[in-house]
Amino acid sequence: MKEVRNYQVIVVGAGHAGCEAALASARLGADTLLLTMNLSTIALMPCNPSIGGPGKGHLVREIGALGGEMAACIDETCVQMKWLNTSKGPAVRSRRAQADKYLYRQRMTRTLFNTPNLTLRQGHVTEILVKEGRVSGVKLETGLEFECERLIVTSGTYLNSRIILGRATWPGGPQNQSPALGLSESLVKCGVSLRRLQTATPPRILKSSVDFSKLGELPGDPDSGGFLWENRLRRYERQISCFLAFTDEESVAAVRRNLSESPLMLENITNVGPKHCPSIDRKIMRFPDQIKHQIFVEPEGWESQELYLQGLTTGMPPAAQQEIVRSVKGLENAIIMRYGYAIEYDALAPGLIRKTMESRALKGLYTAGQINGTSGYEEAAAQGLIAGINAALAIKGQPSYWPSRTNSYMGVLVDDLSIWQKPEPYRITPGHAEFRLTLRDDSAERRLTRDGYLIGMVDEERFSRINAWTTRIEDELARLNDLSLFPSGEMREKLVSSGTGDLKKRVSGCEILQRPGISYNDVKALLADEKDDWLMAPDEIYSLETEIKYRGYFERESEKIAQTKFLESIRLPLAKVDERLASLSPHIAEFLLSDQFDDLNQLVRKNCLSRSDLAILLTVLRQDSEEVVGDPEVLND
Amino acid sequence: MSKARTDTIAAVATPPGRSAIGLIRVSGPAAFEILKRIFKTGGKKTFPLPHCAYYGSIIDPESGFIADKVLVTTFVAPHSYTGENLAEISTHGNMVVVSKVLQIALRNGARSADAGEFTRRAFLNGKMDLLEVEAVSQLLSAGSMSQARLALNQLDGLPSQFVSRIRSRLLDHLVQLEASLNFPEDAIEAIDEHILARDLKKILAELQIFAENARNGSMVAAGLKVALLGRPNSGKSSVMNYMLGRDRAIVTEIAGTTRDTLEESLTIGNYAIRLIDTAGLRQPGDRIEAIGIERTRSAVAEAFALIAVFDGSDLPDADDRLVMAELERSGKPYLVLRNKADLAQKLPDAFFDGKEQIVVSALKGSGLDRLVEELRRIIEDRGLGEYEELVLLGAQQAAALDKALTALERACAGAGRMYQDMLAIDLEEAVRELGRVNGETVDVNTLDLVFERFCIGK
Repeated sequence: MKEVRNYQVIVVGAGHAGCEAALASARLGADTLLLTMNLSTIALMPCNPSIGGPGKGHLVREIGALGGEMAACIDETCVQMKWLNTSKGPAVRSRRAQADKYLYRQRMTRTLFNTPNLTLRQGHVTEILVKEGRVSGVKLETGLEFECERLIVTSGTYLNSRIILGRATWPGGPQNQSPALGLSESLVKCGVSLRRLQTATPPRILKSSVDFSKLGELPGDPDSGGFLWENRLRRYERQISCFLAFTDEESVAAVRRNLSESPLMLENITNVGPKHCPSIDRKIMRFPDQIKHQIFVEPEGWESQELYLQGLTTGMPPAAQQEIVRSVKGLENAIIMRYGYAIEYDALAPGLIRKTMESRALKGLYTAGQINGTSGYEEAAAQGLIAGINAALAIKGQPSYWPSRTNSYMGVLVDDLSIWQKPEPYRITPGHAEFRLTLRDDSAERRLTRDGYLIGMVDEERFSRINAWTTRIEDELARLNDLSLFPSGEMREKLVSSGTGDLKKRVSGCEILQRPGISYNDVKALLADEKDDWLMAPDEIYSLETEIKYRGYFERESEKIAQTKFLESIRLPLAKVDERLASLSPHIAEFLLSDQFDDLNQLVRKNCLSRSDLAILLTVLRQDSEEVVGDPEVLND
Repeated sequence: MSKARTDTIAAVATPPGRSAIGLIRVSGPAAFEILKRIFKTGGKKTFPLPHCAYYGSIIDPESGFIADKVLVTTFVAPHSYTGENLAEISTHGNMVVVSKVLQIALRNGARSADAGEFTRRAFLNGKMDLLEVEAVSQLLSAGSMSQARLALNQLDGLPSQFVSRIRSRLLDHLVQLEASLNFPEDAIEAIDEHILARDLKKILAELQIFAENARNGSMVAAGLKVALLGRPNSGKSSVMNYMLGRDRAIVTEIAGTTRDTLEESLTIGNYAIRLIDTAGLRQPGDRIEAIGIERTRSAVAEAFALIAVFDGSDLPDADDRLVMAELERSGKPYLVLRNKADLAQKLPDAFFDGKEQIVVSALKGSGLDRLVEELRRIIEDRGLGEYEELVLLGAQQAAALDKALTALERACAGAGRMYQDMLAIDLEEAVRELGRVNGETVDVNTLDLVFERFCIGK
């Protein structure tokens, strides 16, 4: 049976990747169908109730800046918001929110239902239809078929998924939903190779069974502002605290007593799981001398009576879970409402997607989220957004959107993913970004909103508001730079008395601000007579101060950025390798012509090029391009 | 990913021309296969056993032509210079024979090696690091014992181990910082910035000494520059000629004849010396002289030591005083020569202001032994005789070391005062650049190390 109506874009799965993908596609005007196995669990957070943190929070800011939904949604539905890393520097500070899981789902569902060009339907996709070597539609379990030009698969951890709880194991998706069966076989038939990954979630306990007097309280920060630019100065008066508990000798003993029931020991699960959230069993095994492990006790919503035990992830059987939980001070009488479990699922083999989220194996197919071997809601949403944008751009016949490592964590994420070869799932952190001063949390709009506007994700009105804001900061930067003056006697006195030392020569406003201990407001007080258009908003002042104070670091970083940008601009595969490149090692020519890499920068990052190979390549490319080509010496860093 | 090294290379290892023996090396997975095809041994030993020498003939399998009676030595991977299967064919040292043997090897499956390819393979196979590669290249071109010993010392890998240790200490701090920056809520002990600052300063001091040794090493390797100063006609050129044992500078009676700087190499004891004759420092009379003075100044700046030559048979003039002033100003070690000791002496001792004079007559060749002895003493006082301390760097390595030092200086200045994320940027750069000094894997994944060392996981 064939649906009468065809769609331009079909998105399979309504998790965090699927929601962003569907919204982006529909907002860019593509006639979009979002298919989910369960319309009641759209934007489900089956694991932790938090969004943000270093790297992840940067992604959420960027999603908001580019016109995605996650930032707006979490800003409205959080029960706590706070800054992390504020004392460690501008490059790594980031917001983190605790979500009301139920409100988040509701709000995202409402947004989806109210978006023009977007249809939502419940259905279990079991087959990808292919015509003449490209995707032509999908087939449901019911036999129903839908046609489309572009297909975005965001199957999360549902694909052929299996729940593991000690020795017990059964086919099942997160929170015991149905697994997605059949689609794996269809993907393999399309030439997409798969691998098995696993992850796990901790038990949830009843709030009223916890002795909070034994736990440390972790309150939120009312002044943190939200992720979305529009909410940047928003105050969050009403918040719920998180709490901190610790394991001790008793808990470690409890884990040890039960290790024989751990899926890790039973070996009834693949060993390939996320490095960054190991189960408590794995932690005790890997770090046998460490007794004190943190457990964050986090609310799941305003009304929810469940508490999430971040740090006690496990797939051990229920009796073991109860023993371990109750060994923790403060949780002696805890009642487990939902047991933790491990889940094993299918994901794509590494190297099968481009930076645009398009499949290298099948034309018209895009994948986003955990199917690509990532973990985390934020990583999924960012990929969904890129996939949705690119699917819709393709429908319009416009060139794809390629985020860059030099302009966003999204760029770092998709670039890493397209050449990621490690077995374990990928999670974004600032450690992955080589230009993290430029990719600061506060600069997201300056890096991405123009892109969003040009693509069509950001409307005229929002763009002009944000643009006025970024222009204000940039103009002030230029003005302070141009403001050159000889310090007055009064000013010199003030400088000496503030402890930064005398100034005896002509300086710019920036140079004064660069002095240690001098803030923008000090400069303003010193130079009040020189100009009158001073910045007022704290966020604008923060960005400005950061860029002036660490100018040397920015300058060194921007040199490297220019080189990376150039290397990224050489898209692979090349159409041909001409005789000028004959002296390259033969395997380099192979790399340049085969569809394994998206750009030259990836080859450099993978250390595929020797210094001399790179020098030859750049010489030839320099002949072909008017652009300034970087110095191979530096490029080979 | 490294370059594919699936082919087998061959090259002549001895220099062209007549010599007692010629050596052809064949390296790569097919080295022994190729040898089996072209080499027939008369002995009963099975060919090829590892690390054995075989006497036999190189025979062209196509024509049956016997090219030479040779000795073949086998080295089995990874215990060879390149880390691959390697055969060395010692032939008679006739270029016709040597090239014939090479030709036969090339026709039977070997590829002609690129310049430096044996050493490159050794590097790629982990047989040596970049510092050792540099040492090999310096050893091959060493012109004096000191240069050769310096290179040999580096081949022992001591400087590499030093850089490697420094790098890993910095890496420890970087990993600690990255753990705290990337995973703020994991129970990672807060960084004590005082300890960090103190430790970075210690590491910086050690690295600065290393850099000084590298500067000295490159001086020794390039030959120690010694500038000859003296007013025109003081006899500098004769001193130089005597030291060289031949007529290089133009010696005339007309002052200012030696207008250009002249450079000559010689060895004193074990040391390679580059002796630079300068045009003098007199007030320029013409443009050519002006250029000469400029060159003299830069020769002084680059010199390791100075030798000032004064005419003992004449009264001191303005030029002599200029030279004396230059000695003081330069801050370099110097020797003062009272030349023309064979003539009646007019130069008062007071002119030397208590400086020790070496009395010589360049023309008659007297007193120069002492000059050479004093020069050697200066070299050894500077610690340049202690090869164990000296380091050889290629140009790119020296640049990388400079960058590492600059980054580390920034980190030291910032530790305890600068945000940790900036510190991490500087440390990362220092670690990366140090990796380029000895060619350790340039691509350190700090995050992997974080996961190895800390129990991360909320």
